Amino acid sequence: MSQPVLSVRDLTVEFVTRRATLRALDKISFDIARGEVLGVVGESGAGKSVTGSAIIGLIDPPGRIAGGEVVLSGERVDNLPPDAMRKVRGKRIGMIFQDPLTSLNPLYRVGEQLIETIQTHTDLNASDARKRAIALLDEVGIPAPERRIDGYPHEFSGGMRQRVVIALALCAEPEFIIADEPTTALDVSVQAQIIALIKRLCKERGTSVMLVTHDMGVIAETADRVAVMYAGRIAEIGPVREVVKQPLHPYAKGLMGAIPSLEGDAERLVQIPGSMPRLSAIPPGCAFNPRCAQVFARCHVERPELIPVGDRKVACHLYDEPGAMGGKAEIAA
Amino acid sequence: MTTAVPPAKPPGRLARWWDSDIAFSFRSSPVTVMATLLALLLVLAAVAAPLIAPYDPFDPASLDLSDGFSKPMEPNEITGKVFWLGSDGQGRDIFSAILYGSRISLLVGAASVLFSLVIGVGLGLVAGYVGGRTEALIMRVADIQLSFPAILVALLVFGVARGLIPPALQERATLFVLVAAIGLSNWAQYARTVRGSTLVEKNKVYVDAARLIGLKAWPVMLKHVLPNVAGPVLVIATINLALAVIEEATLSFLGVGMPPTQPSLGTLIRFGQQYLFSGEWWILLFPSLVLVLLALSINLFGDWLRDALNPKLR
Amino acid sequence: MSEAPLIQVRDLRRVFDVSKPWLNRVLENSPRQYLKAVDGVSFDIRKGETFALVGESGSGKSTVARMVVGLLPPSDGTVSIAGVSMNDVNVAQERQRLRRRIQMIFQDPYASLNPRWRVGRIIAEPIRAFQIIDGEADILARVGELLTLVGLHPDDAKKFPHEFSGGQRQRIAIARALASNAEFIVCDEPTSALDVSVQAQILNLMRDLQQKFGLTYLFISHNLAVVRHMATRIGVMYLGRLVEVSEGKSLFSNPRHPYTRMLLDAVPDLAMVGKAREGVKGEIPNPISPPSGCTFHPRCPLVFDRCRVENPPVIDGVACHAVNEGRVAAA
Repeated sequence: MSQPVLSVRDLTVEFVTRRATLRALDKISFDIARGEVLGVVGESGAGKSVTGSAIIGLIDPPGRIAGGEVVLSGERVDNLPPDAMRKVRGKRIGMIFQDPLTSLNPLYRVGEQLIETIQTHTDLNASDARKRAIALLDEVGIPAPERRIDGYPHEFSGGMRQRVVIALALCAEPEFIIADEPTTALDVSVQAQIIALIKRLCKERGTSVMLVTHDMGVIAETADRVAVMYAGRIAEIGPVREVVKQPLHPYAKGLMGAIPSLEGDAERLVQIPGSMPRLSAIPPGCAFNPRCAQVFARCHVERPELIPVGDRKVACHLYDEPGAMGGKAEIAA
Repeated sequence: MTTAVPPAKPPGRLARWWDSDIAFSFRSSPVTVMATLLALLLVLAAVAAPLIAPYDPFDPASLDLSDGFSKPMEPNEITGKVFWLGSDGQGRDIFSAILYGSRISLLVGAASVLFSLVIGVGLGLVAGYVGGRTEALIMRVADIQLSFPAILVALLVFGVARGLIPPALQERATLFVLVAAIGLSNWAQYARTVRGSTLVEKNKVYVDAARLIGLKAWPVMLKHVLPNVAGPVLVIATINLALAVIEEATLSFLGVGMPPTQPSLGTLIRFGQQYLFSGEWWILLFPSLVLVLLALSINLFGDWLRDALNPKLR
Repeated sequence: MSEAPLIQVRDLRRVFDVSKPWLNRVLENSPRQYLKAVDGVSFDIRKGETFALVGESGSGKSTVARMVVGLLPPSDGTVSIAGVSMNDVNVAQERQRLRRRIQMIFQDPYASLNPRWRVGRIIAEPIRAFQIIDGEADILARVGELLTLVGLHPDDAKKFPHEFSGGQRQRIAIARALASNAEFIVCDEPTSALDVSVQAQILNLMRDLQQKFGLTYLFISHNLAVVRHMATRIGVMYLGRLVEVSEGKSLFSNPRHPYTRMLLDAVPDLAMVGKAREGVKGEIPNPISPPSGCTFHPRCPLVFDRCRVENPPVIDGVACHAVNEGRVAAA
């Protein structure tokens, strides 16, 4: 296997408060290969957005990276000084956020923002940068880019704005893009267009994407692999088809069963009792143990590590003992 | 400040309050703690003036002209009496005068804040909740009000009231006129703030839920909206208390406030400034100092309160 | 099915004045602008069923919900409950009697509970307003009963809303809706602010309560999968108009209006892992100046001349010239 574009090892993020030190991310590890889309799903409080912020070095105090490393194409970036990190962001890591308006300055024309970004990261002159901006807008599917480039953000519809943001993220030809809930603010019909666009762009350009969202449907359609997060840890990670169709981790099973689908005929949805623990009250052992139907003694004391099961990795004691327990779990799945 | 460490279990109401975020933010700001203690001290001293003051400065029988112009902490040249902060020309004890004076200043301040708060919150609530022409009318009046300096409005109200009240009652009515004058010059700020918060709150769906069960506008405003717009009002009221005390002092200094028979801090300062260049500095200095400390400490507390109640700054 | 419907909505319209302020209109010489949020919507809801309205932003589904419960007066049209129209009731007492039968559950559980009130007082408010139970002790007992019903503890009555998670708050909102013994509950995106595992809990709870009390729901959502799971019948809205009404799951097996088809094609779904899909054209037009004729015509693959000028009526559950003229195989 060739070198991954992004490699995260034991990344830990803590928030220091007056009462306690809260662990928002607890030793998470994953790789993203070239041209791959890794979906990161989880419910609110799972730590999926913190993961994105930690990778691009945008954890604000009182939060801090308390351990682990982030390696971008073989180069460690989590310990870079702020100035060097600023160059990595934008140049080597592109960002797409939920609300396009947070990425676009309403006072400047779309073209000005694109050209400025292009010129910051390349040595193109003004007219070449403009040509490139137009080409980018064309590539992300904005009709009549020669004319639209001089428009202001408010003259674009929600979907078109998100396209502009994608163009902005592509300006410096980054090797890696973090898309944090890129379609959440959009209508269903537009959502599909943006998903298709992201998919097409990473195929054509070989860009890797970390797609952070709470919407399993979006992940199912877009991602190659998926990481399911729970209480700051990765519960299960693997090829999207397997994780969606036959989840192994009890939480992932519950999650997939809880989602109403356009097919099938479930009278009742699978219900996971309780809710995600607050950061200040994560139980010892496996964080999911109070809600888990298959809990046993070990889960209360020992934190499960990610262990390989076929193509995937699962953090669950059920799969640790190849004997009776593991077998039972396979049958239950 | 090591008194209320939470006991093992179960924590009482006081201990829980002590451990709350707002109490923590209070504890961790020494300036606020100092200011609050100072303000409390000044207010308590003013309230308890008759108990603390060594003399009754406004009992003509107790005044002795030969006590006049005693220097602070020095025995009087004729009578040998010691006045802590000196005495004025009539032999009045400055310390006692300040205690009684701040009593009146604070009374006028607090009453006028309450007066403007009731008017301002009421109008702001109606403007925000009802909207339309009612809102436009109320807010334009508030705009006009705000475009005049507060002191000018107060002078105007004071002048009009003077003209309307028969001279025999004037002295006794001064306190109420002053409260009305200062109160009327400050209500617009409350109205604006409350209208803004009401506009936000009335669009929250808990208001819809209340309307769904058939509640009329007034119950919705008073039971649902008002408790949720009270935070900013509290902040303005605190800071306005300091402003009202200063405003009262200004009016009294200009001679349109409290009469010499019931002097406030402002009245005392007016008397004092006549002696500034004749060497009796203490008559001016001490009342002024108390006024400054009072306004400053209340203001510092208000500043902290604003920050503590504003979730954005936390 | 021969029973008269519980709720009848007839030709409901709502126009909002979205003009700029008077001074701007004079200075910029711009005319008044109106937004037709809801443009002639009619439907029936039978007792005990879940009727869902589904649509994207700007479709007017929430405006319909607010008019049905009486939070917003319609510009035109009527809403009647068991044959009695809200407009016809002039006596305050009668009006309260009607109100008592309708309740609503809102989208944002963080804004739907007064943050300064304890949960017990919040749930007791409808009981007091409609004078359902007298006596503090009895009211308290009823509040405890309602909390248990929605899966909370009677002691939770003493807490404030901020002590609960989003899902628990939505349970409290449901308890409040049940407090007046309402028979018809309008649910405006009740789970779209919640996480999926919590959403499943709430949807299951709503179903259980429906079976237990024979409740009738008007269910508003943009999420087709949730609607499919919950609804007995479904109405699809586009730009203020009802374009298709269909019996529950047949909308998904046999969508007829071109917009419904497009929408179904667009939804990301678990079942779609690794499948390719057709692209969706265009975005929702600005509702202030909607397209002429059938408002969907600029995005419609079946468009022809008539669609550009004439607004299609709802015939047999579909508002589409192409379907009504039989130009598309309705399968």
